[in-house]
Amino acid sequence: MLPRAIIMAEIEVNNIVKRFGRVTALYKVSMKAGKGINMVLGPNGAGKSTLLRCIAGLYKPDEGSISVLGRNPYYDDAVRKGVSLISDNYGLYDYLGVLDNLKFFGRLYGLSDSEISSRAQRLLKEFDAKEYADRKVYTLSRGTKQKVAICRAMLSDPEVMLLDEPTAFLDAASAEELRGTLRSMARATTMIYVTQKIDEVERMQGSITVLRKGRIAGSTDLENIYRSVFPGMTVRVKFAKPVSKELLSGMKGIRADSANAQSISMKVKGYKDINSILKALMDRGAAIISVSYEEPTVEDLINGGRIG
Amino acid sequence: MDSRNVFAVAAKDIKETFSSISIYGPMMGIPLFFSIVLPILTIYVTMYAAPSIAVKLALLPVANLPANTLNKVSFMSFFSLNVLGPIFLTIPILTATVIAADSFSGEKERKTSEALLSTPISKSELLTGKILASLIPTILLTVGVFAIYGSIIDILSHGSFGVYILPNAEWLLMLASSPFFAAAAIGVVVIISAHVRGVKEAQQISSLLVLPVILLPFAAITGFADINVSFFEYLILALVLIDIAVIALSVRSFRKEAIL
Repeated sequence: MLPRAIIMAEIEVNNIVKRFGRVTALYKVSMKAGKGINMVLGPNGAGKSTLLRCIAGLYKPDEGSISVLGRNPYYDDAVRKGVSLISDNYGLYDYLGVLDNLKFFGRLYGLSDSEISSRAQRLLKEFDAKEYADRKVYTLSRGTKQKVAICRAMLSDPEVMLLDEPTAFLDAASAEELRGTLRSMARATTMIYVTQKIDEVERMQGSITVLRKGRIAGSTDLENIYRSVFPGMTVRVKFAKPVSKELLSGMKGIRADSANAQSISMKVKGYKDINSILKALMDRGAAIISVSYEEPTVEDLINGGRIG
Repeated sequence: MDSRNVFAVAAKDIKETFSSISIYGPMMGIPLFFSIVLPILTIYVTMYAAPSIAVKLALLPVANLPANTLNKVSFMSFFSLNVLGPIFLTIPILTATVIAADSFSGEKERKTSEALLSTPISKSELLTGKILASLIPTILLTVGVFAIYGSIIDILSHGSFGVYILPNAEWLLMLASSPFFAAAAIGVVVIISAHVRGVKEAQQISSLLVLPVILLPFAAITGFADINVSFFEYLILALVLIDIAVIALSVRSFRKEAIL
């Protein structure tokens, strides 16, 4: 069965090139995105934000074409009635109140004041920001500003959402709440979610396109990503009390981090290795209090040579 | 063009401008200071400096006044129109420049442009809204300042000489020319905003527009320009043509990317 994105593409990017002076930010980038979560993964400077701005019609590509909901977003302003953009930059007017900001953006989307008011109240409540409705934006914390920005982007009930690291600056609970909301909207909404964090990809569970140095490096899925980034990864296990050398004897690839073996490090080839080693340690009576690993980055994925 | 979008942008910008005294305070403070201090300066100069220049001037149509008083009234009329008038003409230019630079380059500087431009607003709606947001407060402030200045001049002149000097035709035409000065300034700011990084640069470059206006008093005193009704009629006509050209150029040169 074909993925939904291929069956019906709300967004089609065909061979676009975007240059800023001598710098080529995007080169021959093509992608299709349909309803659901479409992740674009790439390191800093890969061209992710430029791609989103082109799709939103803010930048005119130097070459190639973009179609959003069947229209050219740069020339057809009306298409943006169904599109909203959230970036890590909250993009609110600091000296205006929260409701004034939402009212302003709502009006530009053609909503009546009563619609704006009811939707704003609902969204602010949903994102735990209702108490700030009458506050001026500059008085809010960075995380609350981001929550209001998310309310602004959802105000128009968009068909297409362009998300540029939207969980940046949110606390863990708010970020998870946003992810949940986005996942629940995914069936009816086309989302392009750009990030440089692999764990964000894992949490959002969408199709994945990897962007590198302004070019599409490939399409992949989560399993493939972990298959690519796990080999060679170091996992650290901490114990409640130091373990003896005898307990670790015969376990290959394990290195005690300190003389008294309060913790150990081990190189793994895949997540199955982690499970088997942890089981072996527990069978031998080790009291494990934490397992941590360095969060893989998209650079690991690309530099691992599996993609791009 | 959807007028609701135009008015939404204009209302937002005006509200933003007047939401903090740190923004509108300096913009309004200097013109208000001028409008109160300069008339007092005028009457002081008239009463005590005994300007001989008044003898050379055309007399006001005020009958039954002693010659000395007539000279003083003529001088006060000349001074308030030819010397201080052009100073007041810098108000619409500077005010429009400050608001427009904040409006256009401010979106870029405060990083609000991405959210604004990702809405369905069109380029023409955005430009018109922002031009209105700069023009309306400028006109209101200029009218207010001219009214305060004219009233104080009249109170002082009536108290000292028993005559009201303002308004006269030149004064009203000078006031009528102010929106055209403001429109030209806004157009230049739009063009400049596309090429600068922030508000300060836009304001500094646009402020150069006041230079020709500041030269006017010298031109009047030295006899190079005669600031009368005809002068203002030609000036307004020229400004209309300049406005059309500058606004047309600004609309053509304005790209959404410019304020990103």
